[in-house]
Amino acid sequence: MVKTLKKYKWPYLFICPYFILFLCFQLVPTVWTGVISFAEWDGLRQLKWVGLSNYAMMLKDYMFVDALRNTALYWVATAVGVLLCSMLIANMLHSKKLGAKRFFKTVTFLPYVCASVAMGLIFKMLFEENAGLINEIILSLGGQRIPWLTSSRWDRIPVIILHVWRLTPWYTLIVLSGLLNISPEYYEAATVDGANAFQQFFSITLPMLGNILFFCFVTVTVDSWKIFNESYVLAGPGSSNMSLFQLLYTSAFSTFKMGYASALGVVLILILLLISVVQFMVRRKQGEI
Amino acid sequence: MKSKTIATKGLMYLIMALIVVVCLFPVLWMCIISFKTVGESISGYNALRVEVPTLANYERLFQLIPLAQNLYNSLFTTVLGTITTLFFCALAGFAFAKYRFPARNALFLFVIATMMITPEVGSIPLFIIMRKIGMINSLWSLIIPRIATAVGIFYMRQYIMEVPDEIVEAARIDGCHEFGIFWRVVMPIIKPALASWASLTVIARWNDFFWPLLFLRKSSMYTLMVSVSMLPTSDGLSTPWQVVLAGTTLVIVPSIILYLIMQLFQKEGLTAGAVKG
Repeated sequence: MVKTLKKYKWPYLFICPYFILFLCFQLVPTVWTGVISFAEWDGLRQLKWVGLSNYAMMLKDYMFVDALRNTALYWVATAVGVLLCSMLIANMLHSKKLGAKRFFKTVTFLPYVCASVAMGLIFKMLFEENAGLINEIILSLGGQRIPWLTSSRWDRIPVIILHVWRLTPWYTLIVLSGLLNISPEYYEAATVDGANAFQQFFSITLPMLGNILFFCFVTVTVDSWKIFNESYVLAGPGSSNMSLFQLLYTSAFSTFKMGYASALGVVLILILLLISVVQFMVRRKQGEI
Repeated sequence: MKSKTIATKGLMYLIMALIVVVCLFPVLWMCIISFKTVGESISGYNALRVEVPTLANYERLFQLIPLAQNLYNSLFTTVLGTITTLFFCALAGFAFAKYRFPARNALFLFVIATMMITPEVGSIPLFIIMRKIGMINSLWSLIIPRIATAVGIFYMRQYIMEVPDEIVEAARIDGCHEFGIFWRVVMPIIKPALASWASLTVIARWNDFFWPLLFLRKSSMYTLMVSVSMLPTSDGLSTPWQVVLAGTTLVIVPSIILYLIMQLFQKEGLTAGAVKG
């Protein structure tokens, strides 16, 4: 053991910073979260073990049920929105028919560069009920003013739009790199066989992008379940559009219910684990991994 | 057939133009409003007309928040965070790419697997750890935990794998020290990768919000992002929108400028090779 370490001391030395940091700042905190979730704690006084009561409390907490529903909605809406938009933009950027590609690539990546918090403030102004531009446009199209951020019915929509707006460029880039890897010969052969653009898209592009789209879906899932900034800045009335992670933050650092917040953290981990296991199983069944 | 091609082409440009507007409009609109006087109307379409351009909103920012101090904090964490993470990620990526050692593949798989765990979930114990080691209200709390990241190591390894083994071997035969091989041979070769990873990291760190919100607990220690997020309530409860949007302009415009510069100087652009296999 010692001999191996000595012989390979350089590579081990080069990689050890990551493992030490992972241990201290990721593994220990994650396990610790699991431990605290079985206790009642305000962060200062002695821990009080309460068994599963934090988890039982969750089921009765309407804020938790709301947050869970909101986050699930953010997840589904963001995944659908981001995948559709990034497929559309990437396919156009890949098409031979479009010129000025460098310009379009540069501009369509811009939203990803902008800070979500700052963009959140801008969206707050754009979606303002009485002075916002969005309502003004709706009015001039003959619609009615919509209380985007003051009613619990509408306040999730700006959050979703902002999230999709900011994440799409990154996934466009990934999809585009996938498109560049598809050999043009497939399309040439298909054209010779008389397949139109739609047929080519569904029988070549989509199957060939399978793995890339799967990767995108997994990452969008993680991004959406830990959504915080967008719904924090674009907060609606009370806790109506709060995300699960936001509820964790407020429970821990505003009301100092560390045990309850940790239990929320555990639920979040379990949901993410469950989703990735299900996703991998589905893929395996289809024989694609 | 011919007219159909022209029609699809036209439709494509139309959709693309629409997308460009959606991408650019919110940012341009923000810049315009930030130069309007507080008295001017900013409702609806009025927002787009600037009668007397003014810098007063930016001056007001200095009174509302410790702007210079916040800016310094942001720059400090961004620059130092980027440099350290580049160094340590490249170092680990180099080890995974160019050395054979026991359990290498298992360790690398482990690094990849850790990408699935989000560190945010452990934020409560992390806060307690930071308090124990006295790093609450210290900018180092934002730098140290992310000195080496899984994504960064993965990215660097992919890139360093393409450096020919012969170059590394030749340097070793010439008597170059193992660290010297990394520092004097590999680092210069991977400059393009370092540059694009650096700009992505700079943008991510500059835009970072959750961790500074958690670890920095007084206004003089805030990063610019945290201060700006609190602008709507920092002047009583109703900071004028013009002032808030001046703050967001100060946050967003630098990252856009940096991105455009990178786009101009690099042949392949900022995002080249960011997603390789």
